[in-house]
Amino acid sequence: MTKTTHFAAAAVVALAAALPFAAAAQGVPAGNPVAGSQKNQMCTGCHGIEGWRTAFPEVYKVPKLGGQHQAYMVKALQAYKSGERTHPSMRAIAASLSDQDMADLAAYYAQASLKTAAK
Amino acid sequence: MTMSKRLLISLAAAAAIAAGAAAQAANIEAGKAKAKEVCAACHGEDGNSQVADYPKLSGQHTDYLAKALRDYKSGARKNAIMAAFAGALSKDDIENLAAYFHVQPAAVSTRN
Repeated sequence: MTKTTHFAAAAVVALAAALPFAAAAQGVPAGNPVAGSQKNQMCTGCHGIEGWRTAFPEVYKVPKLGGQHQAYMVKALQAYKSGERTHPSMRAIAASLSDQDMADLAAYYAQASLKTAAK
Repeated sequence: MTMSKRLLISLAAAAAIAAGAAAQAANIEAGKAKAKEVCAACHGEDGNSQVADYPKLSGQHTDYLAKALRDYKSGARKNAIMAAFAGALSKDDIENLAAYFHVQPAAVSTRN
């Protein structure tokens, strides 16, 4: 390997390290967790409360999102928006989100909460 | 109401509660065995999935996990892969799996 290719390889590695939140799937915008943290007002009322239960149409505890995979959460939001997943509140909320919003929110929630990180 | 009637009613209530608790008790060991057989390849044996498209299950709420499996089984939630796996699970399998993944070292938690 020449010095130039060494340098190029190092640059690629550095670039990859600088983009930890790049979305895995093609066509999905990269998420920005900081932007996500400013868009999650409509999420926290249910997902931000430990043990919160959704009451309609069925009673169960809303899923924990902290530390969940970013790509999975984007897919979940897309499925709510398209109507493939049918929970009424989530459909309404997801319908209001752009692809960028979904990516940002998923990037934010993919970060483990302090509680998980401490474990 | 006489004393004996009252006693009878409270005994019946206690029996009903005990029966309910027994019906709900999930078998975590059975869940573990089923998870190894059915779920582990994608979600990891303890539910801490290493594949970005597949959700982490460990530490997730029991009732949410059970609802997801019931919805995949019924077709209310559509996913070709999960429809096949969940379709083959019994009601007990679903309760056992949900209970098992819930008590694994948590990969997910509530984030404000």
